[in-house]
Amino acid sequence: MDGVASDRKPSDRERMVVAAGRLIRDGERVFVGTYWPIPAALFAKRSHTPRSVLLFEGGLVCSALPPRIPLIASDPTLLAASELAGDVFDTLGALLHGGRADVGMLSAHSVDRYGNINTTCIGPYESPNVRLAGSGGACDFGSLAPRLILMMEHDPRRFPHRIDFITTPGHLGGGETRLQAGLPPRRGPDQVVTTLGLFGFDPESREMVLEGVYPGVTVEEVRREIQWSLRVSPYLVEIPEPTEEELRILREEVDPYGMFLRDRRISSTP
Amino acid sequence: MPPSFSDKDKRMTMEEAVSRFVRDGDVLYLGGFLHGEPYAAAHEIIRQGKRDLTLSTAAGTLLVDQLIGAGCVRRLITSYCWNPIPAPTHAFRRAVERGIPHPLELEEYSLLGLSLAYFAGALNLPFVATKTMLGSSYLEKQGFLGDRKLRVMDSPFGDGPVCLIAPLRHDVGIVQLQRSDPRGNGQAWGLLGPTKYGLQCCDRVIVCAEEIVEEDKIRTDPNRTLIPGFRCCAVVEEPWGAHPSYIQGYYDRDWRFAAEYERETRTEGGFKQFLKKWILKTKNRKEYLKLLGKDRLTALRGGRRVSSSVSYGLYEGFGEP
Repeated sequence: MDGVASDRKPSDRERMVVAAGRLIRDGERVFVGTYWPIPAALFAKRSHTPRSVLLFEGGLVCSALPPRIPLIASDPTLLAASELAGDVFDTLGALLHGGRADVGMLSAHSVDRYGNINTTCIGPYESPNVRLAGSGGACDFGSLAPRLILMMEHDPRRFPHRIDFITTPGHLGGGETRLQAGLPPRRGPDQVVTTLGLFGFDPESREMVLEGVYPGVTVEEVRREIQWSLRVSPYLVEIPEPTEEELRILREEVDPYGMFLRDRRISSTP
Repeated sequence: MPPSFSDKDKRMTMEEAVSRFVRDGDVLYLGGFLHGEPYAAAHEIIRQGKRDLTLSTAAGTLLVDQLIGAGCVRRLITSYCWNPIPAPTHAFRRAVERGIPHPLELEEYSLLGLSLAYFAGALNLPFVATKTMLGSSYLEKQGFLGDRKLRVMDSPFGDGPVCLIAPLRHDVGIVQLQRSDPRGNGQAWGLLGPTKYGLQCCDRVIVCAEEIVEEDKIRTDPNRTLIPGFRCCAVVEEPWGAHPSYIQGYYDRDWRFAAEYERETRTEGGFKQFLKKWILKTKNRKEYLKLLGKDRLTALRGGRRVSSSVSYGLYEGFGEP
């Protein structure tokens, strides 16, 4: 364990993880996707949502804390924190499709202005320039989770005009189109938390709206990272910096080895 | 109707199991969901040069990547294919992007969608109806299954549009789990994914187990049985058969191996070297493990955390005084 002193300034990633974690409320049943949602959900659980229940697509229900940070949603360390270990139908089936979970958290490769996510391919599906991972449970989270939080590191290629494949449905074409496609009502992405700020979705057009930026980040900076003409909320806020205590929890308790936050794992994220 | 297999001891070597029960052109199901991936069996499939397989598995990782890179796979049914470190699975990418070593036909679903297709296959249902995947590109991009995969219609019960998922069926399935008796009553614990249903879609099931135990021991805890022995055609005792994935309670995931694999297989040449070193030049799992080295295995073995035992009761009489 090294470098845990909380006097270092928060990194962009730490800001993102804390901002996403703050969106979880105590007692919520949280579907945790692989990668960024793992430190975010564990941060929430260790800071302000001790009674949250973490749900993992492969069949785990966990109310306790795992002995080490899980590196993926199917890490064997999670069994020490699980009160139910079953199959996909226990979690994605009865809890998510059955409407018995509160919120889903996902890492996304790229997202369009309506929060539709592509984690499948760049270029035509049949002959892609770049092939990506595919859905796993992501499409199920996007189709079914009552509340959905997306987490993304910034890069202009991640916010394109249009995406080549809807791996995970967001608000589709905006407005009522999601409902018309037959997806359950009152669902779809609610927030996108990135390394620059926080986005919500307009309640009518369902377009992504910039709602908050981290201290020192300008709207122009965010616009440069996004290919469409970005809407900015008239109530744009500055997101409070992680507190000393939040940073301590994150650095010393959630990810003491820096597996996520200091790239200790070999990583070339999608 | 899928065959029922005899009651006898079905133990055999991996070489025999694969050569007798996996055929060129089969629809092959691989059990596990990042947990319990049947690597030892897949490596034997590569050694025996099986061809034109349609691979069906909940989530592809290094294992699917190796089968694709080795040229065994023509078609892939899955929800995902990636190295969990996370990084791309390069052989999968080369096949999809550039047709190396040959083109790969894809049929993709969400994880729940694919699990439901297994469920429908296991129960022999004509289809299942769901709300997941509506609005996604999975509805438009259907591959070799054509119109035998997904269809959207209005629910006759008034819930608006629903996605109908056709059942999947497999010729042969392979699972690597904790323990089995000699007849193939295989027991698994930990994260189970959709494996129970994926296996029940198979005509033939090969059970690979970390340990073979007496049938009596299986009966002390029948809740843990994933597949009944009469559905099983072969039983292989294969310790460490899921490395570099993990078996709950037996060994941890080998992250270093996954990271090294990612680096070494970025080029086609690098992949071929990996294939030669770890699979083609090792005759069987024992030699693979020797190459891996004792220290590596000891480090992955870790400590034990034993469950409390429960009573299933005796129920021998009718409670008369």
